[in-house]
Amino acid sequence: MQKAIAEHTGAEMRSRFGWQTPVAVLLILVVGFLVVLPVIFLVEKTFNVGDPLSFPASQYGTGNLLSLFTEDYDIILNTIYVALMATVMAIFIGFTMAWILTRTNIPGRERLERLMEVPYYMTPLVGALAWAVLAAPKSGFFNQAWHSVGGKSDLFDIYTLFGIAWVMALFEGTVAYVMISASMKSMDPALEESARVMGASKLRTTMTVTLPLVLPGVLGATLFVFAEMLGSFAAALVLGIPGRIYVVTTSIWSTVEAFPPNYGKAAAMGLSLFLVMVAMLGFYRWIVSRGSYATITGKAFRPRPMDMGRFAWVLFSICLLYILLAVILPVGALLLTSFQTFATVILSQAQFTLANYQEALALGPVRGALFNSLMLGVAVASIGSVVMAVLVWIIYRSTLPGRGAVEYLAMFPSSVPRLVFGLGLLWAWINMPGGLYGTLWLLGIAYFTVLLPLGVRTIAGVVLQVDKSLEECARVCGASWGYQMRTVTLPLLKPGIIAAWMLLFAASVREVGASLLLMGPHSKVIGPSIVSTWANSGTQLTAAMALIQTFIVMLALIILFHVTRDTKKEMQ
Amino acid sequence: MSSRDSSTTRIEVKDLVVRYAGDVLAVNGVGFTVGRGEHVTLLGPSGCGKTTTLRAIAGLEPPTGGSISIENRTVYSAKDRINIPAEGRGVSMVFQSYAVWPHMTVFDNVAYGLRVRKQSAADIKANVERALDLVQMRHLAERAASKLSGGQQQRVALARAIAFSPTVVLFDEPLSNLDAKLRGEMRVELRELQSRLGITSVYVTHDQEEALAISDRVIVMNVGVIEQIGTPEDIYNRPRNRFVADFVGSANLIKGRVIGKSVEGRVAFEAEGGHLLQATAPAALTGRETEVAVRTAYIGIGEAQAHDNTLPGTIRRRMFHGDFIQYVVDCPAGVMIVRRPPTNQIEEGAKITLSFPPEFCVVLEA
Repeated sequence: MQKAIAEHTGAEMRSRFGWQTPVAVLLILVVGFLVVLPVIFLVEKTFNVGDPLSFPASQYGTGNLLSLFTEDYDIILNTIYVALMATVMAIFIGFTMAWILTRTNIPGRERLERLMEVPYYMTPLVGALAWAVLAAPKSGFFNQAWHSVGGKSDLFDIYTLFGIAWVMALFEGTVAYVMISASMKSMDPALEESARVMGASKLRTTMTVTLPLVLPGVLGATLFVFAEMLGSFAAALVLGIPGRIYVVTTSIWSTVEAFPPNYGKAAAMGLSLFLVMVAMLGFYRWIVSRGSYATITGKAFRPRPMDMGRFAWVLFSICLLYILLAVILPVGALLLTSFQTFATVILSQAQFTLANYQEALALGPVRGALFNSLMLGVAVASIGSVVMAVLVWIIYRSTLPGRGAVEYLAMFPSSVPRLVFGLGLLWAWINMPGGLYGTLWLLGIAYFTVLLPLGVRTIAGVVLQVDKSLEECARVCGASWGYQMRTVTLPLLKPGIIAAWMLLFAASVREVGASLLLMGPHSKVIGPSIVSTWANSGTQLTAAMALIQTFIVMLALIILFHVTRDTKKEMQ
Repeated sequence: MSSRDSSTTRIEVKDLVVRYAGDVLAVNGVGFTVGRGEHVTLLGPSGCGKTTTLRAIAGLEPPTGGSISIENRTVYSAKDRINIPAEGRGVSMVFQSYAVWPHMTVFDNVAYGLRVRKQSAADIKANVERALDLVQMRHLAERAASKLSGGQQQRVALARAIAFSPTVVLFDEPLSNLDAKLRGEMRVELRELQSRLGITSVYVTHDQEEALAISDRVIVMNVGVIEQIGTPEDIYNRPRNRFVADFVGSANLIKGRVIGKSVEGRVAFEAEGGHLLQATAPAALTGRETEVAVRTAYIGIGEAQAHDNTLPGTIRRRMFHGDFIQYVVDCPAGVMIVRRPPTNQIEEGAKITLSFPPEFCVVLEA
């Protein structure tokens, strides 16, 4: 009897873990392969001082690395300067906006909070194009207007280190706002209220309680943003190339595109950048995990906003100014340009036309790129959201050993600049049999890999909200693992999976960094095509393409917003 | 109580050990049995291992040692490497968070276990309605589960747990999220439901009042081990050790020493300050006992009967609690807390004589 039960149980255990384990192992192997392989090739190329096209290298050495510090001194300085400037501006803007929008009672707060997300979704590429239209020397709208009222020299020149940093801060720095406002929102208002009750004034409370509590959050955001800025690419490409200003990322790109390409040096730059970013992000995580963040409880409070009286309108104007600089002016400039035959802000001279849009939608290569991007977006989002959902389940809900390693693997691509990842993938797949190089398949693989952190984080947010006992209860009711997944887990995860789908789709359509080096003549996608149109054709066509891309991304995000809002309502 | 006929034993837990990652011993050698139709409560402070024990019985927490059998079927045994997953154990459970699925209607929630068991549509309907009737929720059957109040969710969770007629139901602090008044009502309902359906149940709570009120037997746990098993009256009247006396109900602990040997369970106890008390010694004495426990409710003021223990004292503080009045009394043996009905108030500073019968003056294990 006992033995029969034991055998019966053995079978049950096999059936329970029987297909969870192979699925998990397979996923770990595939993800590990995708994530680690490019890095291996990056390291190999860095130390390959022999024939650059042979693998494994015929000769190893540190020549490539050492040459960085002898030949490319100015590039390193440029990179640090741009990243520092951009970080300072981004943190300043982020802190100001976060404080205004979370702690004060200015009018229209909810709507302004929504608008704060727009610059991020516009992408730095589109932002850089728009600001090139606005503030390029001579032809920029600001300078045109200035000349037309009698100004002599140019007012602005965006093709400078400061211009690059400015655009990066505006369009990539929003992450600083998100992080700082999160740390402000997660602070228990009772901490401030008790200071007020003890007799402290508003100012004193801010200085002695609010600031010290928020400071670690700001410090964390600073490190994080700085690491992001080091690996930033699109703004430096669009605004740096005309003035021959290079940072590390753009110089990797030009080293690979040059003839003859210097792969060893590109790899050495990529690897160095990667290591610096890993160090920065490691430092960031160390600071966050030290646990001095008594304020960050994960619980979101809505702190009682301070009454600003008339001063509220001043703060409101500051918000509007930001929205003007980061949303209204850039979008307006692109819109205006895209409907003109020649970009001008002097409306009396303007010639309006629809030709740019017709060209963008009819021109073979452009239309092809758009179609490819949409197809890739749908494919990556569909396959990615399902695979990532299973990954998230393995990481957070299974009891399988090694799930911590899976989480690490899935998050790994976030510390590698996209362009560098593309570089590693390029060599990895040139050396692989199967002929994937130059096809959409390779782009799909690259997108999936670089978007892993985004998808996993999005779905994990929902998984962690689903109370574990909802699943356990199904098991106790007698449901098998599969039945439980089908009837309880997946229906509850639906909003998260839809959100991940939309975000992955949007991120695929706007991808530039990884695509640039992996795109082949028969596998063009929209992001890099915008860059090359910018370099080779007119501003007007580029503006039309950028707006089409932005429109598609926005559409996906609006759908996402409505879907998640509806399901949230449903669940409450 | 301990030697139960195996045919009436529903659950048997032997030497259960649960070790968490990082070598934390959550449950350290727990063993007990639950008889047919019996309502047993695991009681203890948070972190005592009671919920872990319950989850191990359900199959939700993998133990590291010992064995568990339900209905004479071994569902877990470290020695024989048996571990039947939760869905194969045939028990039912009510979760602390209710775990009512928000994406289903009340009906679908309650029907879940029946659908898993592939009952016919007619049976499902009949059984769901029967279960919903029992918790007076039938009129809300088609309501979305996300639109229920806390008390209603609690009832749905209960209906779902009993709908597929399980013989064993596990309760993980099911009332802890309800407000005090509703909790009191639900206790009565639970107790009635339990005796009407003849369900065998294991119940986990940290609320000693709840444990005493609804259980046939109470198991008091602390830091992963069992401190005492007994009927509610047993636990309350004859606490075995300091932890039980302190955690369950409210008791005065008087320090002192046992004098002489126990005669028919009675023993003389010399309290600090020199007063001699007659005490009850439920367990065999080892000679190292140094405390007796006297429940605050069992102490009279100025109403001593023959054979009662008496202690002189002065009332230092009187506090009105509504249902009772609490006196803080300075005695030679230390400070005593006394709870009396609020009918007859005694002034602060009054010199009084405390009295309590020997059977409620219990020698605690050292």
